[in-house]
Amino acid sequence: MAGKQQMEETRSAQMQARAEIATARAALMDENRPDAVARQLRRAEMTARERIATLCDDGTFVESGALVRDRDGDHARTPADGVVTGTGQIDGRWVVIASQDFTVHGGSSGVLGSAKMQRATKLAKRDGLPLIFLLDGSGHRIQDGQDSRHFAHASGMFHDMARISGWVPVISAMMGAGFAGPTNYAGLSDFVIMVRGQSYMGMAGPELVKAGTGEEIDKQDLGGAHVQVDQHGLADLGVANEAEALQAIRTYLSFLPSNAGLQPPVQPARAPDAKAATRLPHLIPDESRKFYDVRKVIAGLADQDSIFELMPTFAANAVTAMARLDGRPVGFIANQAMRMAGTLNSPACEKIAHFVAVCDAFGLPLIYLVDVPGFLIGSGAERSLLGRRSAKLVFELGHATVPRISVVLRKGYGLGYYGMCGGRSFDADASLAWPSAEICAMSLYGAANVAYRKQILAADDPDAKRDELVQQMRDNISPLRAAEGYGVDDVIEPDETRDYLIRVLDRAPARRDNQMPPKFRAISPF
Amino acid sequence: MEIKSEIKIESEIAGKVWQISTGPGDQVAEDDPIVILESMKMEIPVVAPADGVIAEILVAVDEPVEEGQVVAVLNT
Repeated sequence: MAGKQQMEETRSAQMQARAEIATARAALMDENRPDAVARQLRRAEMTARERIATLCDDGTFVESGALVRDRDGDHARTPADGVVTGTGQIDGRWVVIASQDFTVHGGSSGVLGSAKMQRATKLAKRDGLPLIFLLDGSGHRIQDGQDSRHFAHASGMFHDMARISGWVPVISAMMGAGFAGPTNYAGLSDFVIMVRGQSYMGMAGPELVKAGTGEEIDKQDLGGAHVQVDQHGLADLGVANEAEALQAIRTYLSFLPSNAGLQPPVQPARAPDAKAATRLPHLIPDESRKFYDVRKVIAGLADQDSIFELMPTFAANAVTAMARLDGRPVGFIANQAMRMAGTLNSPACEKIAHFVAVCDAFGLPLIYLVDVPGFLIGSGAERSLLGRRSAKLVFELGHATVPRISVVLRKGYGLGYYGMCGGRSFDADASLAWPSAEICAMSLYGAANVAYRKQILAADDPDAKRDELVQQMRDNISPLRAAEGYGVDDVIEPDETRDYLIRVLDRAPARRDNQMPPKFRAISPF
Repeated sequence: MEIKSEIKIESEIAGKVWQISTGPGDQVAEDDPIVILESMKMEIPVVAPADGVIAEILVAVDEPVEEGQVVAVLNT
């Protein structure tokens, strides 16, 4: 009798435990949190869980840590401790995801939420999976952070993020609130997206800024996409809504392997857009002072509908775009003649350097389209530390082990020509020039002014004399002469270029041997 | 047209105004040249940052402009 009663008590206890688990789990779900969901949808388009469901292939998300319970809270009040973490598939490949829930203490980082983020990062590192943060929160939760028993531990998060850099793709999508903690995660991410008008990021929000410094500024002007994407380049892309942000993650990952040990995913080849290919031979203006849009050159070379431009609204004098050539992912780096004549300034150097690092980390060959009049000069350029930032441009290229090809479309001037992989500067797999190329150490007018100053000043018409000297010099900087001296491998027509690139990339090994001298690490100029 | 925002379009580079390609009331698309500067012996367009209608052109041909100077106002 006693045994039967004990069994029934045990079964009853188990049923009660199961009921408690079911209640705890139900409390997490959006359908059982109507007030919180309504609050969220007044300020954003999706909940933390909806974002994951939209991002992942249907039914693939596997959650970890759903049932954690905040020290003082309960499952209904602090579901998942404010961050939903787990693994899911994107286009059939596994990724690790952490999605902050703003409805839980403003998406702040509690003790357990922080532990979940750290575990997600370690999982990405251990298993070689892309790490995706969908950020809509803040820094430390005050209740937890203002307790040194907890805070003094800090977190290994940044250590791990630094270590996985270049091993797996790391992406941050700023979906709403993003000052402090989320910005710190984004700062260590390879690719950052902001939702225009809805998200913001920065070291601290307006209230803390006002309390600390007295500066009064609203959150959009402090950290909205129009400043952090368009003016500062802190993030790569500003998009119109959350669905576009999530699609941008899928598109970005479609060019990359899951980790640096794998090859980039090849897709079926497509010919370039027919209209773009037709106009390719006519894009470079006959007059060298005229501008054109180099994005049309990329469109004439790359597989149709494969071009994904990064940082399109920041430092537009340089264009960086992932694309496919014959189905194979590549990175295009181009000077944009219609913005600042393609001059390289500090923002452009930062933009290109970062892009080269990402492409090199994940095995994307680099295709340089060169039309560079040089680096920006003057006091403004010096204030922006262009001396160092220009070094970063060549530093990243100098460390690259992926195939690289340079094509001089028009101007290949000075150090800019080096920095754009011209000639033999970085041992390009092919160094090419179009018939419109002009390759020399400095601008023709600058050279005339320096070398022939006395002759020009002595002439009756100095401007005419300068033009005459420039014309004489122009004959010496032709692509044929460059090929005669073997500075370039060949001079090719625009409409031959795509096939040439494809054949070179087909021949080139995916990686070169690392021929660095023995050392522990390189020291970046910045 | 309902005006959502007024964008001040700045020159990215110092130079001289070579040509004014648009005028007040003109409809422009993103990346259309609004004013063309001459700098470093090159024609350098100041382009529309978004689709919109030109509200004002603030420079004249042959006028020197500084980096960051507002050259036009665009209504979007």
